[in-house]
Amino acid sequence: MVQAAITTDVTPAEASFGALCRRAYRLMLLARIAEEKLAGLYRAGQIQGGVFLGRGQEALSVAAGLALRPGDVFAPLIRDAAGRLAFGEPLVDAVRTYLGSRLGPMRGRDGNVHRGRPREGYLPMISHLGAMISVVNGVLFARRLKGQSGSVGLACVGDGATSAGSFHEGLNQAAVERLPLVLVVANNQYAYSTPNSRQFACRDLTDKAAGYGVGCLSVDGTDLQACLRVLADAVGRARAGGGPQMVVARLLRLCGHGEHDDASYVDPQLRASALGRDCLKVAEQQLLQDGLAQPAELEAWRAEALSEVERTVAQVQHEPAPDPFQEEWRAIATEALVETHAAPPLPPRPGALKQA
Amino acid sequence: MSVTYLEAIRAAQARALAEDPRVFIYGQDVGAFGGAFKATKNLAREFPGRVVDAPISEDAMVGLAVGAAIEGMRPIVEMQFADFSTAGFNQIVNQAATLFWRTEVPCPIVIRLPGGGTSGSGPFHSQSMESVYAHYPGLLVFTPATVEDAYSMLLEAVALDDPVIFCEHKLLYYHLKAERLPTEALPAGKARVTRPGRDLTIVAYSAMVHEALAAAAELQPEGWEIEVVDLRSVKPLDTDTVVASVARTGRLLCVGESWPWGGVTAEVLARVASEGFELLDAPPQRLNAKDTPIPFHPTLWAAHRPTARSIAAAARNLLRS
Amino acid sequence: MPQIPIIMPQLGESIAEATIVNFSVQAGDTVEADQNVVEVETNKANLTVTSPCRGRVRQWLARVGESYPVGAVLGYLDATAEDAARVGLDTSGPAGAAAAADLNGKSEGGRPAQPPGVEPIVRGLPVPASAGGASYMSPRLKARMAELGLHAADLAGVAGSGAAGRVTVQDFERFVAGLETHRMTQASPMRVSVADAMRRSWTRPLASVGLPFCLDPILAHRKASHPKAAPTLYGLRALALALAENSAPAGRLVGQKIVHPKAIDIGWAVEVEDGVLVPVLRNADRFTLRELIPQYEALLEQARQRRLSPEATGGSIATVTNFGTFGLTWATPIPLPEQTLVLGMGAGRRVPHWSAEKHQFVPIMEANLTLSFDHRVLDGGAAGRLLTRVVHLLGHPERL
Repeated sequence: MVQAAITTDVTPAEASFGALCRRAYRLMLLARIAEEKLAGLYRAGQIQGGVFLGRGQEALSVAAGLALRPGDVFAPLIRDAAGRLAFGEPLVDAVRTYLGSRLGPMRGRDGNVHRGRPREGYLPMISHLGAMISVVNGVLFARRLKGQSGSVGLACVGDGATSAGSFHEGLNQAAVERLPLVLVVANNQYAYSTPNSRQFACRDLTDKAAGYGVGCLSVDGTDLQACLRVLADAVGRARAGGGPQMVVARLLRLCGHGEHDDASYVDPQLRASALGRDCLKVAEQQLLQDGLAQPAELEAWRAEALSEVERTVAQVQHEPAPDPFQEEWRAIATEALVETHAAPPLPPRPGALKQA
Repeated sequence: MSVTYLEAIRAAQARALAEDPRVFIYGQDVGAFGGAFKATKNLAREFPGRVVDAPISEDAMVGLAVGAAIEGMRPIVEMQFADFSTAGFNQIVNQAATLFWRTEVPCPIVIRLPGGGTSGSGPFHSQSMESVYAHYPGLLVFTPATVEDAYSMLLEAVALDDPVIFCEHKLLYYHLKAERLPTEALPAGKARVTRPGRDLTIVAYSAMVHEALAAAAELQPEGWEIEVVDLRSVKPLDTDTVVASVARTGRLLCVGESWPWGGVTAEVLARVASEGFELLDAPPQRLNAKDTPIPFHPTLWAAHRPTARSIAAAARNLLRS
Repeated sequence: MPQIPIIMPQLGESIAEATIVNFSVQAGDTVEADQNVVEVETNKANLTVTSPCRGRVRQWLARVGESYPVGAVLGYLDATAEDAARVGLDTSGPAGAAAAADLNGKSEGGRPAQPPGVEPIVRGLPVPASAGGASYMSPRLKARMAELGLHAADLAGVAGSGAAGRVTVQDFERFVAGLETHRMTQASPMRVSVADAMRRSWTRPLASVGLPFCLDPILAHRKASHPKAAPTLYGLRALALALAENSAPAGRLVGQKIVHPKAIDIGWAVEVEDGVLVPVLRNADRFTLRELIPQYEALLEQARQRRLSPEATGGSIATVTNFGTFGLTWATPIPLPEQTLVLGMGAGRRVPHWSAEKHQFVPIMEANLTLSFDHRVLDGGAAGRLLTRVVHLLGHPERL
């Protein structure tokens, strides 16, 4: 549990916001350090598939995760390590999924950012951008049919996803059904190598909201405190029955599209501008300025985060990989209807059969 | 009193809605309008709030169904035409079909596809989609040919914990009638020997079962006894019943309304060739629609898909080889 | 009204053409589907071509006495589209209409001439060349035959009703069911074993040559000998010496290699109940006739009592069979499947023989010697020379 550094002369609301800031910062720090570790493991050849980091996006993401309550629905995307931790995902789940441990939530069947626990409202993404929005809609729709109210569903997308047909259909559907959806659009200026100018022609992504008939809020994605307030606001409006809420955050992607990409196409001017500020540093400064944390605490938190990451990675590295011979190769829940004639049988484990 | 194939589908949905509060229907024009083919006529009134009109968003329709399934519901998605399901293809094959495999959370959705050709419907209102969806692991594909199967298999599809692509045939909607709805049924995954025979096996499904039966009737006066096997579900495919039939007759003709490349007929032949090679007295054959999009003009359309006449001719060739 | 071509069908494996013998129907006649319309002759048999569907003969293009290849259009039927479709004939495409060239190379209706197609076509369905014909066995047929322990030789009497005369599994089941109406007894294992050996042997091209020889020297030698060698042993020893001089005729052909004999081991046929056993004298070239007698007698006794050890049979390079013991003067025995040669000895008869010295016919005892052989390994000349050498050796029994 995070220790609240309470100073005198603050209101309970301010005190709780202060605690929120501290908690948010620690989660961002953990996400940043964990991802640096993952990048290192990737370069060392210990991670299969693509590694996509959320560097520069932690403030927005953590704000989204923290704005939600237990029982809400969360559909993060590829740069939401901080949000996932904030929503309650244990660090070991992420590390297990990246390192291919059999004990991870996806059991090796999917990997890296494709992870979640659907029954807990934490939806595992599929690769097709925008596809998760209507799934969140479905959960909310079902709860309404069952007479349950009070949940909010939150889906994260980037600027690129706003061009996908599924984004359009999902947002439109949520609006028509007036579902309590919060759609967080992280405009980090680039979809892989594609700048905004090649992605959309409207003046600003916030303009789209009017087209769908949904509410919209805009936020400086580099500013943790702003993010915390805006996300809480958006979630509150949705929860109160205000229909879908779009949040468009402005920030800059501070890493390559994936760790295989050097991002040399990013405009250096953007990097040098306010948009290019590192939200972790900004948050740090905010904490210090507002007296919400001391430098020594920050050092200690960093050390703790490093230690937690190292410990978790070390533990997971000893865990077993999935065994194709132990796997139940079944894609449907109904065992009785599994096709036995289509697939050839798996060859026996080498050495399992001895010549009689 | 008789019931049509379409009425059976409506009756099954009504019963599902009545018996299971987790069921709801979602599709374009399904609400007050009762659906383009009236498959949900009056259901919105009988079950308020549970028969919901969707915008023209096949992708979002299926995505919503998956989300609802995660939340424990049993949605039935009505596509207005099978041909439009491709607009939601991604959600069907990448979201619904993979959910259980990836997360161990089952996905009990039914996607109803009014498919198959009718005269003058053209390339985008006539397609048979079963082969495409059967290819993907994680989906079940049902293709009822009779009024009774349309009823019982739809109920079974709703009850199953897996995504079912329910392929209805438009030609059978109003023209196929039965005296009454069934009280018992073969489970999905079991094929039926609709017509026992001796000299040749025709394996078919959906509307082609009726064409095959007509072909068999045409061949009977010539002294041939043709066995017709109705697959009922193409995934899972009842290989055992098919192979047992070929064991009896030694000759196989598989007929399907979809296209030749790699469809249901190819799958049946591959299985029989590999598991029943020594049961074959002649090379197995198949008959499909021509390898072109489905034509609009009735004369072209009539020549495009297998008919009783062309099935009988193919059977004769096989019987004499 | 569509014109349906009457096409020269696939008439049998490796039959590429046939000659028209006569037309059973003329232009203007109405025919039913499958009715005989033309009689043709191949180099193997006379066959009939049948009508592809119901219709009226429009014209014949072929002529009596001329040869046409498989796939050639012999004539045309006028048929309704319905009758044509009934039998699966496609009247809409060029194959079903008048686009095929007539046999003089000119085209019908101005379309370019098609070369006479030799694509095998049966009733409009292309049949792979190997999937029809008397020697084709479907997987199901093979499986059934394996189940019953039958071979293609057992089907010799079954007429096939399938494409180009192949035996369908229905033909087969009818045949087997027909057998059930006869009295059947179990063949002895010996019979089955001999049948298998003979069937396997017969897969080779076998030929026979023969030579009469004068038995008198052997009869005289035998009279003066104690103990007496059986006549078969004389033949065996003579063959052994001849093969020791040149063993090539006893070599086997495997693929493109001649496999040479390792030792002059020669067997001889002993009749036992319901079959034949073949005991073997090893290295028969290295022992004199007299030295071979005890072993011969011992093995003969063991054979008659069916107590031959495995080492006493098998591995021989040639066999001698004395069919004269059955009173036969002439026979063409079949070599063992693993051997190239079998030497046959016939019964002796008193015959007149022209004596050049005495300028008259004198009586002698004469018998026929035959040599049956795998014609892939040796020809008549070599066979003749071997037989002549054996006859010569038999004329000097004291040297055996």
